[in-house]
Amino acid sequence: MIDTTEAFFARLAERGYEPLLHSVSGTSRWDIKDTGSWFVAVKNGSLTVSRDAAGADCVFACSKEDFDHMVVGKQNPTTLFMQGRMKITGNPGLAQLFLRLFPDESLASREQG
Amino acid sequence: MGEKTTISVLEGNNFVVSDLRGDIDASPSEPLGLFAWDTRFLSRWLLTVDGQRPNVLSTDDLDYFYVQFFLVPGTGTIYVDSDLSIMRKRAVGNGFHEDVTILNHKDKPVDLKVRIEAAADFADLFEVKDALKKKGEFYHRIESDRLVLGYRRETFARETLIIPSARAGIDEHSLSFAVHIEPHGEWATSLEVAAVLVGFGENREQTTGGHGDQRARSNMKRSLEKLGEAVPRLSCDWPSLQVTYRQSLIDLAALRFFPITLPGQALPAAGLPWFMTIFGRDSMLVSYQALPFTSELAEATLQALAQQQGTRVDDFRDEEPGKIMHEMRFGEMTAFEERPHSPYYGAADATPLFLILLDEVERWTGNAELVRQLEMEARAALTWIDKYGDRNGDGYVEYSRRNTETGLVNQCWKDSWNSILFADGTLSRLPRATCEIQGYVYDAKMRCARLARTFWDDPELANRLEKEAAELKRRFNQDFWLADREFFALAIDGDGRKVDALTSNIGHLLWSGIVAEDKAEAVVRHLMGPHLYSGWGVRTMAEGEGGYNPIGYHLGTIWPHDNAFIALGLRRYGYREEAARVAMNMLEAATYFKGRLPEAFAGYPRELTDFPVEYPTACSPQAWASGAPLLLLRAMLGLEPAGDHLLIDPAIPSMLGQLELLDIPGRWGRIDAFGRGRVDTSAVGNSAQSS
Repeated sequence: MIDTTEAFFARLAERGYEPLLHSVSGTSRWDIKDTGSWFVAVKNGSLTVSRDAAGADCVFACSKEDFDHMVVGKQNPTTLFMQGRMKITGNPGLAQLFLRLFPDESLASREQG
Repeated sequence: MGEKTTISVLEGNNFVVSDLRGDIDASPSEPLGLFAWDTRFLSRWLLTVDGQRPNVLSTDDLDYFYVQFFLVPGTGTIYVDSDLSIMRKRAVGNGFHEDVTILNHKDKPVDLKVRIEAAADFADLFEVKDALKKKGEFYHRIESDRLVLGYRRETFARETLIIPSARAGIDEHSLSFAVHIEPHGEWATSLEVAAVLVGFGENREQTTGGHGDQRARSNMKRSLEKLGEAVPRLSCDWPSLQVTYRQSLIDLAALRFFPITLPGQALPAAGLPWFMTIFGRDSMLVSYQALPFTSELAEATLQALAQQQGTRVDDFRDEEPGKIMHEMRFGEMTAFEERPHSPYYGAADATPLFLILLDEVERWTGNAELVRQLEMEARAALTWIDKYGDRNGDGYVEYSRRNTETGLVNQCWKDSWNSILFADGTLSRLPRATCEIQGYVYDAKMRCARLARTFWDDPELANRLEKEAAELKRRFNQDFWLADREFFALAIDGDGRKVDALTSNIGHLLWSGIVAEDKAEAVVRHLMGPHLYSGWGVRTMAEGEGGYNPIGYHLGTIWPHDNAFIALGLRRYGYREEAARVAMNMLEAATYFKGRLPEAFAGYPRELTDFPVEYPTACSPQAWASGAPLLLLRAMLGLEPAGDHLLIDPAIPSMLGQLELLDIPGRWGRIDAFGRGRVDTSAVGNSAQSS
């Protein structure tokens, strides 16, 4: 079975453009505990995913289990943050917009199917 | 109105409610405390001197964020002849800052034991009323210079830091000071109380224990003065209007909420004490009311709501893609999904109101950049209206909650469960398409057609929206019209029946422009007739309807904000004198509340009570009630932007005499508006009978 975390970032890279981030530009870093870090950069909706980059405007940190649950729609990102299970640092307005990437509908339906 | 027994100071979503001594002794029935982020960070804060609680001489709350308490030591009798004075000065900021000073008036030195008892129950605002049991654990730490009260539930943690400047003995319940004061000398300490959301990291600037700088206070003061400088100046022969105008501006400044996601910007929270947070509907309507005075609130509101626009289908939150949220909360119950406010999307009117406000901001400010920046969000909102708002495909937006446990039954502004009634008083069925929401949709599509043509380079969308709006108007005037009673039904319910009670909602239809010209006269006749019009204003539901109750929350009370939008609607259809009457009567009502209109007051006929009777549990100050006089000024002066000009077409009640509003800001720079009172409002309306 394909790993959900890997699949999520792979799909973002494939997609290349996300209309929900049309007016957004900036870089986020995702620190998934015991798994690794990913950088997701967006420029007016165009996405670039990499494993190493120079810096980030906002950083998210959470466990792999919580992250995967966000991806498949079992966990709401905002309440994950409110509970203190996901740390967010950096530009809060930008971070809020990156949360629009969850859930990934196709991975969510795969999970349900 | 009873004697005031509590005093509130506030800033954003931070507020302190205490008794007149400055003490906090919370109980389930008394919502006293230090509240921040929808959590009570102090439920107990008692000052004693030699074991006695002081007596109050006077309390001074001239500023909304700052209060002074003048006290003398308690003697157990009412006889006051003290050699000591005690002063507490409190400024609210992130938590609060309190200075305690004791003066010795005697010729001899004095030794005192001063003690502050402190406790925090960390109740979620939702729990305060219901006295629910906490699910986590309380803890405390005593560090060298401070007491830390804490609460933890899994990884969720909240802490209250209490840091005295003077040397104190600290235990888990209190801070004690051994005080020696020389003859005619004084002793003072300051206390910094900080509300900490553990784990919010660098997103919150947190108090670390600086003293004597009065930081919160000076910043607030400056910020209030800045607002005062920027808004237009008012002068009027009727002095009460000046009082009301000033109170409105102060309350709107006080009720500003500073969202984490928009550093440096503020938007209107809904009201004190229960609604100090972002509400889609309230924040937008208040911003709209304030536009001729300041556009900053509206610009921040649109951006904050755009950030939170729905992106997924989520039954618990009643969320759908493109939907504008209803209410955001930050407390424990929201965090653990025991309440859906993260945010909750249960409002069917917020999405069209978002589009209306976006267009209105551009009309006043010429801020084309914002219209372009929010193009995707606006398009998503339009899609929501047709795809999710109109859930049964009948061409009208209707609502029915999918969160049946903690969601809202009524997702319109009249959001109490029993507000949508037939004329015979029976309850309508869900889903409900209330009439004013259809008006908002019509207005939103007309306005977005302009935006699409002018800013989004999409004439095709503009044409489509205009066609849809025209069709909606045509069908609405047919489907909602009650031919026998000659007004619009309150709603069409889940069984397709016209909900036939006579209500204030028909006034919003005038504001939106959906009323066909040949039906406007009848609508106005009802609004100004004796069944809807009390003499102070338009009732939410008409006297004579089965559900009417002059003290029913949405069943007969009078809401200032409702009346202000109705007045603007009357102007839109050319009913200048009627608009002037609604404005005058509401401004008269305000004089009985010292210029601060409450959320709602009773619908008793004016001749019965002589003064407006405040609704028992009304929220005060309530932002859209504070904004109502501003919108009434716009309605009386007939202010309408037209391109780069501001049209001024005054219809002023004669009682006001000369009315001047100077330096009205907008895309024209600054413009003055003048009007002389020529409308004899006592001779307007109220003679026609509603059917």
